[in-house]
Amino acid sequence: MSSRWANSAADAAADAARKKEKEEKKRARLEKQRLLEARQQQRQGHGDYDEAHDGRQPPAKRRRLSDATDGGSAGAPRKLLRFAAPGWAPCRSVDGFEKLNDIEEGSYGWVSRAREAATGEVVALKKLKMGSEAGGGAAEGFPVTALREIQALKEARHRHVVELREVVVGSSLNDVFLVMEFLEHDLRTLQEDMAEPFMPSEIKTLLLQLASAVEFLHDHWILHRDLKTSNILMNNRGVIKLADFGMARYTSSPPPPNLTQLVVTLWYRAPELLLGATTYDASIDMWSVGCIFGELLTREPLLQGKNEVSQLSAIFGLSGVPTETSWPTFRRLPHARALRLPARPAHPRPPDARALVRARFPALSAAGAALLAALLSLDPAARPSAADVRAHPYFREDPRPKSEAMFPTFPSKAGQEKRRRRETPEAPRRGAGAGLGGLGGLGGNGAVDFSGIFGGGAGREDGGKGWGLKMV
Amino acid sequence: MAANSLASSAQLASSASQLDGVPHHLETSLVFAGSALAQAAGVLLRLPQEIIAQAIVIFARVWVGSEGASLKEHSAKHVSAACLYLAAKLSAHSRLPRAVLNVYAFLDALPPTSLFDDAAALDDPGPKAYYLTEGDYHARRSLMMKLEAIVLRILGFNTHVALPYTLCINYLQAVEAFAQPQGSAVAKRAFAHLNSSLMNPQRLYLTHQPHSLATAAIYLAAREVGLKLPGDEWWEVFDTDREELGFLVVAMISMGGFVEQEKRRWEKSRPPLTVDQLDRELERLGAMDDGE
Ligand SMILES: Nc1ncnc2c1ncn2[C@@H]1O[C@H](COP(=O)(O)OP(=O)(O)OP(=O)(O)O)[C@@H](O)[C@H]1O
Ligand SMILES: [Mg+2]
Repeated sequence: MSSRWANSAADAAADAARKKEKEEKKRARLEKQRLLEARQQQRQGHGDYDEAHDGRQPPAKRRRLSDATDGGSAGAPRKLLRFAAPGWAPCRSVDGFEKLNDIEEGSYGWVSRAREAATGEVVALKKLKMGSEAGGGAAEGFPVTALREIQALKEARHRHVVELREVVVGSSLNDVFLVMEFLEHDLRTLQEDMAEPFMPSEIKTLLLQLASAVEFLHDHWILHRDLKTSNILMNNRGVIKLADFGMARYTSSPPPPNLTQLVVTLWYRAPELLLGATTYDASIDMWSVGCIFGELLTREPLLQGKNEVSQLSAIFGLSGVPTETSWPTFRRLPHARALRLPARPAHPRPPDARALVRARFPALSAAGAALLAALLSLDPAARPSAADVRAHPYFREDPRPKSEAMFPTFPSKAGQEKRRRRETPEAPRRGAGAGLGGLGGLGGNGAVDFSGIFGGGAGREDGGKGWGLKMV
Repeated sequence: MAANSLASSAQLASSASQLDGVPHHLETSLVFAGSALAQAAGVLLRLPQEIIAQAIVIFARVWVGSEGASLKEHSAKHVSAACLYLAAKLSAHSRLPRAVLNVYAFLDALPPTSLFDDAAALDDPGPKAYYLTEGDYHARRSLMMKLEAIVLRILGFNTHVALPYTLCINYLQAVEAFAQPQGSAVAKRAFAHLNSSLMNPQRLYLTHQPHSLATAAIYLAAREVGLKLPGDEWWEVFDTDREELGFLVVAMISMGGFVEQEKRRWEKSRPPLTVDQLDRELERLGAMDDGE
C-alpha cells in the first residue's frame, strides 16, 4: 500500500518536474527568439519585415513579443489575426476573454456573450462540443463536423454571413472556441417576442439578404444544411447574418453520393430528405428558405410536424401530394414505397401548391405566393436558385424592400439574459436513427397512407390541420 | 480558394526545433523523411494524390517559426500520421485511425530510404500485412488524436491547402500542349515535379502560390521533354514573373541531388523520426550546443 502511494507521489513529482521543464524550455526558446529578432532588427535598421497584410494586423514580430511575456494574457493589446491575411499563427488562449452571459446551448455547442479583455470588444464565443458529447465519439479525434464548420466559416466571408474572427483554445485540448462577431438577436427568439410579424417591406429586405448569403454559399460549393430562423442572426441595424455552419459541407457537381439525410431540423427539412435521398443539392437549402419565408409572414414556423411522417403530411398539405407531373422522380426515393398515395386524384384537379399557398396566406400578393410556392416545390429541380429568388418580381412590386436604416430596434435577449429554451425540435444529431425508415410503422412492411389526404377519406386528424394520415 | 496561406519571413527565419538546438540540416532532413513517410502511407491507403499533398503541406507548416512544433517535443513520424489522418478526414476520403496506424507500423519495418524515391512503386502489402496489438493500437490512436489537436492549434486551424494540379492542366491546355505529341509526357513530368516539390527543402509550397508552382513545373517539364512553348514570356500570362520562375525552376532541378544526398545520409542508420531517437542522434552529433 505505502509503496504504491509513494510511487504515485513520485510520479506526480516527476510529472510536475517535467511540466516545469517544458515551460522553462518554452520560455528559453522565446527569449532566444527575442534576442535573435532584436539583433536582426538592428541589422535591418527598422526591422519592419512584415508582409503585405491587410493593415489591421500588426507585424508578426510584435505579436509574438506581447505573447512572450506570460502566455499572452497581459502584454500590449494586439489586434486579432484576420483570416484574410496570408499566413497563420497558433490559436490564442480563451483566457483573453471574459464571459458576460450565456446565450444558448444548442446541439453542437454552447454560445456565450463575452468581452475581449485587451480591446473591450464584445463578441460571441461558441464552445465546440468535442468527442463523445458530439455523438461522434473521441474515436474519430477532432469532430469532422467542427472542422467543416470552421472551414466553411473561414471561406464564407460575406456581408450576410456571421464573421468568424478567430479560433481560440483553452488549456485542455478539448476546449476549442469560435470567436464571432456578436449580434443582438436571432430571428427565432426575436419573433417570439414581437407583438406583430415583420412588415411586408421588412420581410422583403430580410429575404433578399438571406438569399444573397445563400447564393454566395452555393457559388462556393457550400451547402448549409441547417437553415432555420434560429440560425439567422440579426443586429439592431437591420442586417441579418447566417450562422451555425455545424451541418455545412462542401459539395460538387454532380453532388457526391452517400450524403447523410440526417440534416436540417425537421420543420425545415425538404421532402426528398424525408424520403431518404442520399444525393441532393443546393435545393434542400432553398426548401428551408421557403419555410423561413412562410415563418416571417406569420411569426409561426410554417410546417410543424411531430415526426417525419407528420412532417410529410404537413408538407403535402401545403405543397400538394406528389404526382408524376409535380415530382417525376419521387418514386425512386428509398422511402417512397412506404407511401400510399391516391392512384387517381380524388378531385378532378387536385389543388396545386400555388392555390394552397394563396389559401393559407390570403394577404400575400400573387407574386409573393408564386415565389413561396416555387420554393416549396416538391420536386427539388423545380425550386428556384438563390439567384432566381433575388431576381423575383415580388421584390420589385410595392411595398418595396425597406432600407436597413429604417428597421426598428428591439431589446436584445442575448445581450441581457439567458434565454428560455425554444420549442423548435433540435437540429439533427449525428448518428441518430435514420429518417423515415427508423420510424415505427414505416419499416420494411409498414406503409403510410396519404391516399385520403384530399379526399376526406378515413384518417387520423393531424393536430387539427385537417389532413388525414393513416398508417397501414 | 485558389490561394494559400504562406509562411511569413519571420516564420521562415527560425523554428522551434532550431531554437531547441536541432541543427538546421538535421531538421531539413527529418521534415523530408516525415513527408516521404506521409507520401508512402498515403499511397498504401489508396488516398488520392491531392489529399496526400495537402497532408504534406500541413505537415510542413507545423514545423516553421518559433511558435511551431519542435522536433524535440513531437515525433516527426507521429505528426506525419496525424497530418495524413487529418487531411483525409477533411476530404471525402476519410480513413479509419486503425488503417492509418497499421500502414505507419508497416512502413516502420521498411528501410526508410526506400521511401525517398518513388513511393508509388511500393508493393501493396495487403490489409493483413501488419497488425498492431490492441494495446499498441490504443496507445498510438490516442497519441495520434492528441497530435491532431496540437497540429490544429499550431496552424490556428489553417488547414485549407490550395493545390497546383488542376491549374497545371488548365495552363497546359491554354498553351495547347496537348495538341502536340509530347503533350501528355509533359503533363506527366510536370506533375512529378509538383509532387517532389512538396518535399523540397526550400519549402516551396509554404512560400509560393499554386499558380507559380504550376507554371514552373510546366517550364521545366517542357524543357526536359523538348516541347516548344509559344512565344517568349508565356509565363507572365499565368502571373509569374521571370525572377520567381527562375528561382522555382532551379529549386525543382536541385531536388534530385537533395534526395540522393539524403539517401546517402541515412544509408546505414535510420532517420531519427521520434523524439527519443533524435535525442540520441543529437548526443551522437555532439550538437547539443546552440550551433550559433
Ligand atoms: N454570433 C452570435 N451572436 C449572437 N448570438 C449568437 C451568435 N451565434 C450564435 N448565437 C446564438 O446561439 C444560438 C446557437 O448558436 P448555433 O446555432 O451556432 O449553435 P448550435 O449549437 O449549432 O445550435 P443548434 O444545434 O441548436 O442549431 C443561436 O440560435 C443564437 O441565438
Ligand atoms: Mg443553431
